[in-house]
Amino acid sequence: MSEAIEKTTLIGKSITKPDAPDKSNGRTRYINDMVLPRMLVAKIKRSDRAHAKVLSIDTSKAAAVPGIQAIVTADDTPMVGVGVTKDNPPLKKDIVLSMRDELVAVAGETEEAVDKALALIEIEYEDLPAIFDPAEALEEGAHQMHDDKPGNLSLGYQTVHGDIKQAEKNSDHVLDEVYDVHYVTHVCMGPGCVIADFDTHGKLTMYTQTQYPYNYKMDLAPSLGMHPGDIRVIQPPVGGAFGSKLDVYPFEPIAVFLAKKTRRPVKLFFSREEEFSASPTRQPARFHIRAGVKNDGTLTFRDVDALLNNGSHTSWGATTPFVMMRTFTGHFRVPDVEFRSRAAYTNMPYAGSFRGYGNVQATYVTATVMDKLAEAVNMDPISFRLMNAQKAGEVTPQNSKLEECFLGECIETVAEKTNFLEQYNAFKAEQDSPGRYKKGIGIATSFHNAGGAKIHKSDGCGTVIMLDDYARATVITGASEIGQGIDAVLTQIVAEELGIPTESITLVNNDSAIGPWDVGVHASRTTFIAGNSAKRAARKARDQILDAAAQRSNVAAEELDLRGGSVVQNDNGVPVMKIDSLLRKMHFAGEDAELVITHDYYEPPSEPEGDNHVGDISAAYSHGAYVAEVTVDTWTGVVKLNKMTAVQDVGRVVNKLGIEGQMEGGIAFGIGYGLTEEMIIEDGEVKNPNFRDYKVMTAPEAPELEFHFIENDDPDGPFGAKGIAELPTIIPAPAIANAVYNAIGIRFNNPPLTPEKVARAIVEKQAAKVAAE
Amino acid sequence: MSEVNITLTVNGEKRHVSVAPGLSVLNMLRDKLDLTGAKLVCGEGECGACTVIVDGTSVNSCLMYAVELDGREVTTVEGLQTSEKLDPVQQAFVDKGAIQCGYCTPGMVMQTTHLLKQTGKPTEEQIRRGLEGNVCRCTGYTKIFEAVNQAAEG
Amino acid sequence: MMIEYEEYLAATSVAEATQALANGNVTVVAGGTDLMVQTAASGRGVGTTLLNVRRIADLRGVTVDGGRVTIGALTTITDMLTDGVVADTAPVLAETADRFASNQIRNMATVGGNICNASPAGDMIIPLMVLDADVELSSWVDGAVATRTVALNEFFTGPGKSVKTANELLTSVSFNRPAEGFVGQFGKTGPRPALEISMVSVGVGGVASNGSLTNARVVYGAVAPTPIRASKTEAALEGTSLDDASIQSVLDVADSEVNPISDVRASDWYRRHLVRVMTQEVLESVANV
Repeated sequence: MSEAIEKTTLIGKSITKPDAPDKSNGRTRYINDMVLPRMLVAKIKRSDRAHAKVLSIDTSKAAAVPGIQAIVTADDTPMVGVGVTKDNPPLKKDIVLSMRDELVAVAGETEEAVDKALALIEIEYEDLPAIFDPAEALEEGAHQMHDDKPGNLSLGYQTVHGDIKQAEKNSDHVLDEVYDVHYVTHVCMGPGCVIADFDTHGKLTMYTQTQYPYNYKMDLAPSLGMHPGDIRVIQPPVGGAFGSKLDVYPFEPIAVFLAKKTRRPVKLFFSREEEFSASPTRQPARFHIRAGVKNDGTLTFRDVDALLNNGSHTSWGATTPFVMMRTFTGHFRVPDVEFRSRAAYTNMPYAGSFRGYGNVQATYVTATVMDKLAEAVNMDPISFRLMNAQKAGEVTPQNSKLEECFLGECIETVAEKTNFLEQYNAFKAEQDSPGRYKKGIGIATSFHNAGGAKIHKSDGCGTVIMLDDYARATVITGASEIGQGIDAVLTQIVAEELGIPTESITLVNNDSAIGPWDVGVHASRTTFIAGNSAKRAARKARDQILDAAAQRSNVAAEELDLRGGSVVQNDNGVPVMKIDSLLRKMHFAGEDAELVITHDYYEPPSEPEGDNHVGDISAAYSHGAYVAEVTVDTWTGVVKLNKMTAVQDVGRVVNKLGIEGQMEGGIAFGIGYGLTEEMIIEDGEVKNPNFRDYKVMTAPEAPELEFHFIENDDPDGPFGAKGIAELPTIIPAPAIANAVYNAIGIRFNNPPLTPEKVARAIVEKQAAKVAAE
Repeated sequence: MSEVNITLTVNGEKRHVSVAPGLSVLNMLRDKLDLTGAKLVCGEGECGACTVIVDGTSVNSCLMYAVELDGREVTTVEGLQTSEKLDPVQQAFVDKGAIQCGYCTPGMVMQTTHLLKQTGKPTEEQIRRGLEGNVCRCTGYTKIFEAVNQAAEG
Repeated sequence: MMIEYEEYLAATSVAEATQALANGNVTVVAGGTDLMVQTAASGRGVGTTLLNVRRIADLRGVTVDGGRVTIGALTTITDMLTDGVVADTAPVLAETADRFASNQIRNMATVGGNICNASPAGDMIIPLMVLDADVELSSWVDGAVATRTVALNEFFTGPGKSVKTANELLTSVSFNRPAEGFVGQFGKTGPRPALEISMVSVGVGGVASNGSLTNARVVYGAVAPTPIRASKTEAALEGTSLDDASIQSVLDVADSEVNPISDVRASDWYRRHLVRVMTQEVLESVANV
């Protein structure tokens, strides 16, 4: 027999994405590139009023345009809503509640014909008073947007722990501040797109960008008057998602209405302007926070009131307090905590889910408040955080069990790696000295679920693994690939378990008729949940193979291992047989024949929230501590982020290349939130629906990045791994804001820190100083 | 509206195409020649996802009229690879993890190709400035810079 | 949205192009980087014929003849970055080109197009105005190409508007070779080096000696409906020994001379603030020459 095969591991190595080669040479067909036989193209005519009665819609001229095959309005539909609270009928009737509201859709042979037809649709409106501010919407006498929502109240959350009044009495300092966090949006490179296609049995195939294919069927079906079982979801490659495709949005059922009417495949797609103005946003909010501290630095209480602008309809944005409250109540040891939120309907755009999900907003507040409290008790930002950091075994008021907790280690590491205190003190001393450019350094921390989040009845994921006669494995997973790299991670995990090369694995995860259920790509859950499911399915395949090998050799299964495509003896690595030849023997064994086809459905050991939002909703939690180093141009107000150092508890690195990519990309979103990205919305209209005026980070602005991963195997994670991809988006903005404070002594409770905002604050500070003198 | 017949070289092959005068190069490539590598993302030259090379120079194909290509030579991301192996720039993007969703990749690869032709071995600053017209929403650019460096090393 | 043109014409000479223009209803395309965006946004072109002037070979390149530097209208922004004559005579034009959009757009966009687009924020216009440039406008008159020359300073009449008539083609821009000791500076601001529509841009030029400027030129972009020559600021600057106090008084004059608006990119307050700090930056660097 051949030479011994050493035990090696793929875990922690860099694996390139299996789909990368085809993406590098233009071969990949994204949904936007797809053309089906006899396919029509379709677009939507939207309201250009923020709030109005629709008196009439005349589509006769549009219908006469050559090539137009169908026009639909609300009258052609069941008028059943989509979205989290089903308050959003795909096509609106009688009243429009926002500029984005869908009124008519047109399908035609060519885009040119559809454009012409859209321009010829005549709509008569009668304007109604519009409300853009959520506080105004909650006032007595404000017009009610939805018949069944008195007082314009959409969703509200409340969690109460301890006695705030008493805690306030016991505090030496109480901070009382208001924060306003803004609208940003995903800016996926691939604009919104869907293709609806009925087969001759009347069953529907949706080619969609969705990142939650299984519940998508359930959420879509009622708006169509269909049974979810009659919908098949196919997920072609997408140009980014980042949370924006975690709900059903009106354009998807609209495409189906048109497909049904024409009995032809219909592709409906967004312009870039629609991508900005008619896609979900990140949830904006106003926070009133009161937070207490004792002179010795001990945190005493946090009391938070959050007012959310729900917009005209409801998607996941209005539910983000669910995540916000975990941070407000659970990040750092705060004995007495309260959180209350209300989301009020207005005539504004509505928010969906977005990488970081509520925690981006909550962390901007908590991480800057921590800095302010440290200053109030004359402590430095590091020592203050360390003394209030939880330790392993502590439990947050909402029952997040921090069985292992590396918050302190993250803070200590990042402080040491950045020489934080020395720099901090030096920059602070320079604040008021002359000079145009001021440097600053700032720290921020947060925590997030890292082992799924049990917000649905199941937080599970299924996997099927099939091995063929050549030891090639097909891995069918419920987990979606949206660019984040789960394809590489699962390939790596299965290859590790089965001792076969990564090239021998084909991943299938784009068809709901083939793949087993998964709750979707969200909540930093996929590596943890889908990874565990894949690992367990692979383990079953491995056990079956080893049992078969044991039967065919004189070695017990427990003494065998799979390495390098062979069954080997565990202790010395000596090969016993090749896996592929064993698989053939198993397959062609007459009456004892067996195929290796295994499956697993993994449900994480977490619990849904009960009363008062208490529940250990995730199987793992993770902390991160990031430090930003900035230079502020005090003349122009431009904040340059020179470097971001990120220390994060990741459990275990699975794919080094992948985790770095998720950190780097996530941080870019966080930087955008803190510095440049902002949807400018006036009277309900997005005024900067383009790349020119909505500023995403470009190559010259990208800062230097340095990462340190705290690796301690999570007991429940696959190979010890935790979910990691949201903290990088959550933490950067307040780290930057704290660094700017260190540089110029000015706080910003209203990101982003745009040049104009910073310049104005500097001028005002100087004026106040002159006035005081 | 009358269409105009043009003759151009696309990825080394001579092609005859009939185009409306208002048609962009990008839409011609995608709709008439089935070359869907170049992407329509912003439609205004601010993102670079539609970058192709015309007569040796990188351009935003969404801003150029197809009729202007008469008698000229265009290279798209589909045309870089000349053997079974990926082109070195493409391979570098794969190796370095510079591709996540990949929607910006065809434009990034073409602009990198142009940059390397201009600069040979670009400095860090030249890489950043060379890619300033190409937006990536997934990667934060770090791995793209690494890929450009790998490709420059050859 | 694709614009429907009835006809396409690729002119290879100024004569051919101006004859086409004389027939009326023509949309001229040079680099195309502004045209495609503007027509797509409005859903219509300005004419039924799309006239491509890009193939008029004579109109690309920079030449110097005696004391006069002439830039062909079709010279690209990338050409400006690398051109030897530019580097030799007016390096401020190359410095400005370096702050212009992106590499791909610089490769396509032309100097003539940037001028004809008549944006109050058009980057190349600023240093050309600092150089007292003139533009040459050509048209077809009585069976021949006729030209007239207009000072760039007097060319613009409003956002997107100029004195150029529908039958005229901008064929070149020229300026006197700057005097010995001339310094020119261009500034725009933002977190990005180039890919920004200027919130404010500033150009300053003059002959520097002993910390003062003579024959001073001050030009601002994006602070008025057109790029403007700030003549009062120039007067205040002329021959003034530049120290902290005198710079501040020049800035006060500049502030009185600009009339910016608030829009999605910046408020009028911030534009005024930028006028001050960017002018200060340029003047301080001139003072140190």
